[in-house]
Amino acid sequence: MDFNETPEQTMIREAVARIAGDFGHDYFVTKARSGEKTTELWDALAGAGFAGVGVPSEYGGGGMGVTELAIVCEELAAQGCPLLLLIVSPAICATIIARFGDDAQRSRWLPGFATGELKMAFAITEPDAGSNSHRLSTTARRDGEVYRLRGTKYYISGVDESDAILVVTRTSVDEETGKGRLSLFVVPTDAAGLERTVIPVEITAPEKQFTLFFDDVEVPAENLIGTPDDGLRQVFHGLNPERITGAAMACGIGRYALDKASAYARERRVWDVPIGAHQGLAHPLAKAKIDLELARLMTQRGAWAHDCGDAMAAESANMAKYAAAEAALACLDQAIQTHGGNGLATEYGLADMWGIARLLRTAPVSREMILNFVGQHSLGLPRSY
Amino acid sequence: MNVVVCVKQIPDPAIPGQLDPQSNFLKREGKLILDDSDAYGVEMALQLVDAAGGGEVTLVSMAPNNEASGLRTALAMGAAKAVLISDPALAGADALTTAKVLAGAIDRVKPDLVLTATEATDGYTGTLPEQIAGILDLPSITFAKKIEIVGATVKVDRQTEAGYDEVEAPMPAVVSVTAGVVEPRYPSFKGIMAAKSKPVDELTAADLGVTPGAGQQIVSVIAAEARQAGEIIEDDGEGYLKIIEFLEQQKVL
Repeated sequence: MDFNETPEQTMIREAVARIAGDFGHDYFVTKARSGEKTTELWDALAGAGFAGVGVPSEYGGGGMGVTELAIVCEELAAQGCPLLLLIVSPAICATIIARFGDDAQRSRWLPGFATGELKMAFAITEPDAGSNSHRLSTTARRDGEVYRLRGTKYYISGVDESDAILVVTRTSVDEETGKGRLSLFVVPTDAAGLERTVIPVEITAPEKQFTLFFDDVEVPAENLIGTPDDGLRQVFHGLNPERITGAAMACGIGRYALDKASAYARERRVWDVPIGAHQGLAHPLAKAKIDLELARLMTQRGAWAHDCGDAMAAESANMAKYAAAEAALACLDQAIQTHGGNGLATEYGLADMWGIARLLRTAPVSREMILNFVGQHSLGLPRSY
Repeated sequence: MNVVVCVKQIPDPAIPGQLDPQSNFLKREGKLILDDSDAYGVEMALQLVDAAGGGEVTLVSMAPNNEASGLRTALAMGAAKAVLISDPALAGADALTTAKVLAGAIDRVKPDLVLTATEATDGYTGTLPEQIAGILDLPSITFAKKIEIVGATVKVDRQTEAGYDEVEAPMPAVVSVTAGVVEPRYPSFKGIMAAKSKPVDELTAADLGVTPGAGQQIVSVIAAEARQAGEIIEDDGEGYLKIIEFLEQQKVL
């Protein structure tokens, strides 16, 4: 067993840390607060080939896996620049298209993912379906050479900066079970009949959240990814990378918080010694560090399992997402506590990370759904829903 | 246009360094990284080769335990190959021995130009560029902030306390590059993957015909004197008088 990263993985880490570090958390927050996009950071990252690390090399990508993409996500977050779009576009959409798209679809979209010039949002969640993908009500109906999409999606990230959206729809219903059969479509964001409205949220991030209304949106049949009615299996293949890169982002936020907290606790003196000498502060930080490193280990295992097609990928990805989100929140909370009153000051760049860290407890899959999964699949307990 | 860049791999400056209690030398056992101050020379060399429209950048480095991870960083930036001199006999080598070793390696490459940093971030000796030039009998220019190649001449803007001098020398020459004068590029993903298969030639002192001398001894290490705490004056409305008094004492006013 070898827990060392390859020299190349370490260098990816260092290079991404440098790129993100040059922009920094202040840049990230300034852009997010003013409603602007972190385009310069994305371009620098993508231009150096890091957004496309996981895209197959025959399409111009790095030919690596989720392991390396997770490293990119973690390092960005560790510099205070967590980019949700990286989870959505390369981790989910590119993974699904690379795995299930036909030759024409792969040739059409993967080169854009490789360079990072193509950004694709991912739309699955619906107001009335929530975590229950079987109850999706957005439909796609075949009409000659096109499909017509009708329905509503919400909490869709980054639509305004994406060229297209990978939309999960119901194309038929299994008569016996009553469950929807799903199909995935690539829909251009400027398609006629597609409307969007912003959902105001308390998250400091450049990616906005949207409700999408599909009113008879016409999509060419060649935009249906892979096999019709096979969407659920395809979605699940993309959700593990989503969980793993989400976990990696959470781990990065945890590192960002602990770096700041430990630096502050080493320097800040109120009585005769640095406040870090007080166990009341040192022990919670040490515990947060342990939880963080445990989460990082599980994240790495999840990525490894996905990349080599190991059956433990789903369980590991779920556990990693759970552990990393909890660890990130604990690290951030303790970092804020360590900073005393400064913990909530804008200048210290901690409290503005709360929204995104807290989001990762809820999304991409909620803490409770992961506990359901582990109860049922890991422990053999009766299904709860 | 072939350029050699001398680079040093050093312990990560972000981690507090430790001295070996017996020898008082800096411990260099763990992972070493490319000295930040060398990244400027690497960047400068890559730009010069690009501008010349051909040639390549070769790295020359001396490090313990065949450590090459710092070299991989510079190879990922775009250097073509590296020469690494690693030899237990060179442990604790002084600057002159190091210069002889590097000069020997440079001489085998026969470059048009040799670039170095002005000094390493872990040792701060700052004598190596001139020693290498002396050994190889090459012209030496220090503290370059800008380098231009015109024919067989290297033209340098050489930083001074007052501004800069425009100087030039016939090539080959040894030029030390001031930190911060160019923006070192990020290693790209392709660069990182390419670095994996770039050649790193490993040599010993004997390969270069260098016999390590007596080296250097560090007889004593004394902690730098801690800075005295400043005087704190509560401003009761007359604080400015104290400031004026202080500035007068310092003969600033």
